[in-house]
Amino acid sequence: MKRNLFLSSFLFVLLTGCSLGHYGRLKEVSPPTEALKPIFGDNFTSFLFKTNISIYNKEISGLLLTKQMSSGDYRIIFTTELGMKMFDFEFKDTSFTLQYCVPQFDRPALLKTLKNDIEMLLMNNISLLPRSYYSNKDETEMIHRVRMEKLSTYYFVEKSTQQIYKIERSSKVFKKVIISLNDYKEGVPANIIIKHSDIKLKIELNLLKR
Amino acid sequence: MRKIVLVVLLSLPVVLFSQVPKGFSLVKDTAAFKQKMDTQSKIINSIESDFSQEKYLSVMSEKIISKGHFCFKKANMLRWEYFDPYKYIIAINKDKMYIKDNGKVNKYDINSNKMFKSINEMMMNTVQGNLLNNKDYKARIYENEKQYLLELSPLQKGAKDFLKVIQLYIDKADYAVVQVKMIEPSDDYTSIEFTNRKNNQSIDETKFILK
Repeated sequence: MKRNLFLSSFLFVLLTGCSLGHYGRLKEVSPPTEALKPIFGDNFTSFLFKTNISIYNKEISGLLLTKQMSSGDYRIIFTTELGMKMFDFEFKDTSFTLQYCVPQFDRPALLKTLKNDIEMLLMNNISLLPRSYYSNKDETEMIHRVRMEKLSTYYFVEKSTQQIYKIERSSKVFKKVIISLNDYKEGVPANIIIKHSDIKLKIELNLLKR
Repeated sequence: MRKIVLVVLLSLPVVLFSQVPKGFSLVKDTAAFKQKMDTQSKIINSIESDFSQEKYLSVMSEKIISKGHFCFKKANMLRWEYFDPYKYIIAINKDKMYIKDNGKVNKYDINSNKMFKSINEMMMNTVQGNLLNNKDYKARIYENEKQYLLELSPLQKGAKDFLKVIQLYIDKADYAVVQVKMIEPSDDYTSIEFTNRKNNQSIDETKFILK
């Protein structure tokens, strides 16, 4: 009994620690005047990233090309350095189409994870979802929270630059995905790191050209 | 009448596929061409060349251009290096394959992996222009005043899924491959152009080991 009590109080501290320790300190504010600006929604230009995916003990590297084809319509193609196409994703408003993928990527769980990660960066359907807004203690950041069924996605915007420097996807208790957006060049992050905490997956994107 | 329509429809893909590329005519004496290619590849012990690779993605109307340099030494040693706009090196040294990316080197046993084995064969044959003797491809040879064009269509189902045809442009003067174009079923392609080619210069073997 004593042991159970210790264990449950330990778990309680651990779990609430995760949740309250982070988002609990944020205070809810009224909607900001500045709307959240899509990271790649910039004049329909394309962006080319050198990309490294490490999944469990496997390393896959290549080039990721993103292009906004028309409003709300994005195409994401991943090729190897030698030019072989690995996958081709199409995001149109709220729909997703897998246009192509090699057998190496043809695994439902992996494709779903990649799709979700890219969707977070494209921010295509967030205007349709319920949102709330928060500020940090010293009011230097505006946090946009997008609520989904069981998860929430938090976009952390630095007020002085209006740039998104971090995106987190969390359940009530755990952070599942953390995306850091670094080294902004002309409004676009030159380095993006996507880290998953529930699976061993890390994706690093380095901007080569736009 | 119906029969004629059927015959026309059925032969349409054949006609389209065996279309002679613009500016080229079909070479009938393929044996002489093969013999010259073989003789030429026998007297070459090493090749060094710059290359420019263009990946065309039709749906985006975008081209990804990367530049690099390669060294080849007989037998089975290759260093394929990109330096713009990213740094990435593949080196093949007999049965070992090295990949250097992000400053990190990974070493693989070529025979341990089917994909590495086919990358190795493909790259070695391409730089040497040896694909003609490969039974996995159907070959057609065309020519114009300055070049031969060797078209190879894969015969195996697996390869057909991601490759429609490989085109090798070969200089008539020295039988060197000047351009390779790999066209996918979607008409996306990867084209590699070779420039500043030097044959039979001494190349230090340490170039084929990455650290």
